[in-house]
Amino acid sequence: MVSLETPQRAEAAITGSAGIALIPSDPQWSNYLHAMRETGSDPWWGFIDALSNSIVVTVLVVVGTVLSSSLVGYAFARLRFRGSRSMFLLMLATMMLPGQVTMIPLFLLFREFGWIDSILPLVVPAYFGNAFFIFMYRQFIAQIPESLVEAARVDGLGHFAIWWKIILPLCKPVSAICAVFTFIGTWNDFLGPLIYLHTDESSTLAVALNSFKNQYGGLEDVHLLMALSLLTMIPCIVLFIAAQKTFVEGLARGAVKG
Amino acid sequence: MATIQFKQVSKVYEGGVRAVDAIDLSIGEGEFCVLVGPSGCGKSTTLRMLAGLEDITDGTLELDAQCVNDLSAKDRDIAFVFQNYALYPHLTVAQNIAFGLESRRTHRSAMVAALRGNSAARHAESAAIEARVASVSHTLGLDALLQRRPRELSGGQRQRVAVGRAIARDPKVFLFDEPLSNLDARLRIETRAELRQLHRRLRATIVYVTHDQEEAMTLADRLVVMHEGRIQQNATPAQCYDAPANRFVASFIGTPPMNIIDGTIETREGQYSFVASGIRLALPSRWAPFSNTPRAITLGIRPDRVHISNASSNAIPATVESIESLGDRTDVALRCAMGRILMRSLPESLQNIREGDAVHVACDPAHIHLFDAGVAGARLTPIA
Repeated sequence: MVSLETPQRAEAAITGSAGIALIPSDPQWSNYLHAMRETGSDPWWGFIDALSNSIVVTVLVVVGTVLSSSLVGYAFARLRFRGSRSMFLLMLATMMLPGQVTMIPLFLLFREFGWIDSILPLVVPAYFGNAFFIFMYRQFIAQIPESLVEAARVDGLGHFAIWWKIILPLCKPVSAICAVFTFIGTWNDFLGPLIYLHTDESSTLAVALNSFKNQYGGLEDVHLLMALSLLTMIPCIVLFIAAQKTFVEGLARGAVKG
Repeated sequence: MATIQFKQVSKVYEGGVRAVDAIDLSIGEGEFCVLVGPSGCGKSTTLRMLAGLEDITDGTLELDAQCVNDLSAKDRDIAFVFQNYALYPHLTVAQNIAFGLESRRTHRSAMVAALRGNSAARHAESAAIEARVASVSHTLGLDALLQRRPRELSGGQRQRVAVGRAIARDPKVFLFDEPLSNLDARLRIETRAELRQLHRRLRATIVYVTHDQEEAMTLADRLVVMHEGRIQQNATPAQCYDAPANRFVASFIGTPPMNIIDGTIETREGQYSFVASGIRLALPSRWAPFSNTPRAITLGIRPDRVHISNASSNAIPATVESIESLGDRTDVALRCAMGRILMRSLPESLQNIREGDAVHVACDPAHIHLFDAGVAGARLTPIA
């Protein structure tokens, strides 16, 4: 609603000196174009840069998380190797470490690698699995009959091929959940890009939104901030609706097995 | 087609459970060999070792006279039909059947062909696979189902797809792990006949595991009866039935099972007899070598070799406990001093018998089996 108001009315609404109309009497659709133009320091390009950075980072992170988590989940569920149980517990234990604890050591590590102001610190860790999703994949894969894996072995597949051709297609419901949650998490991630990306050209949408705040933390163009926030939300909503069918299928399959 | 040789093969699981205990078994080219035994006898483990799905703890396994102990499942060129069929649920019937062929198309050769733009070779290979799938599905009557997914098929159809997937690859050896146990009784009998026909047509080496001795008897060229990880008898079905190697095989093969009676063998006034619970049964003179001294022994007699006797001598007094009529035959359970005896007769010979009647039953002396005393008692072979 605020995103469709004029600057004066939006400010009045935010500071509480006037109410917000449920249906704006004079909707300012141009606010959206205006917001896109005003993002970053470069008109239009600031928005295009941030959008493309967000897309690249998110796609790479989603792909990485799904692939690595399912591969590790398969190994924990189906391969028998010495210490697999303790390794699994150790992996679960990493979930108990709050992100804030690892933030500074990770920053120092990535600075040592020379990765600051590149997308690498945001993307590369995704290719090493995510403890929660590994756990989810492992539980799901453990329910897939062992004989399917054995049949594939007899049919001439190695473990990587079994994972790629048999396990991954059967894990669609888990992959949908993993992809959507990772997408939302990465798309909306503010802290990561803020820490690692320093220039305007490399920032993502979530950080670019910040450019509407002035240096004292106050808001000048609250209507533009709202407009851009709304635009930023669209992909998450679309993805959720698109993946809904697979979600429900996964839940139903879990409920009535057999 | 291939020959298979187990040489002192053992399997010991973690925790020391010995599932298979030093078995020696040789299976010839084109033979239909059935491993049969109760649950936990080691038959499935034996099959899985042959498939390369279980490691061999000890001994040597040879395929075509080559040791395959360390060869992985994919390199053994065998096909395995699982009890639950293990069809890939996300693939159609056609893709399931083609799966083994597709995955054997070596990736390197496919990549090289792609890089060289050698699409003709790739197309030829794909066409060959398609033709193979078509011919296999035609053989098994699956033509109309090729585009369906496994969940849209009935149990019998799934079973046929599983067999189709196995024969499409034309492997050296076929392994079946209780493939009929999920089918209903009628379908099981039909599929049994189909499998037999298939074997006749392919002349392939087949190793088949089942706990159903009837299935084993009807399918096998050679029957391997297993118990507690050991082979109890390795012979033709007829030999296993007519001359069981020990007490276990005697009681396992045949429905209803053989009557087993513990007693002693004795000689009195030149007459050999079997004595149990004070009842004396005369034995033919061919059992003479075993009757020098009173000796603990087990007598086995098949239910269809027991009959109601009019005379009371050389017969066992018993009470009729239950009568089960199966139409063409009748099973009678009798209670006597030695325990329970089963009898199978034609219905017309039992017209005057009612439950609770006191009767005398006699055993056909020519069809008596004798075993050493004890659970594992070996068969005693009479003189000819």
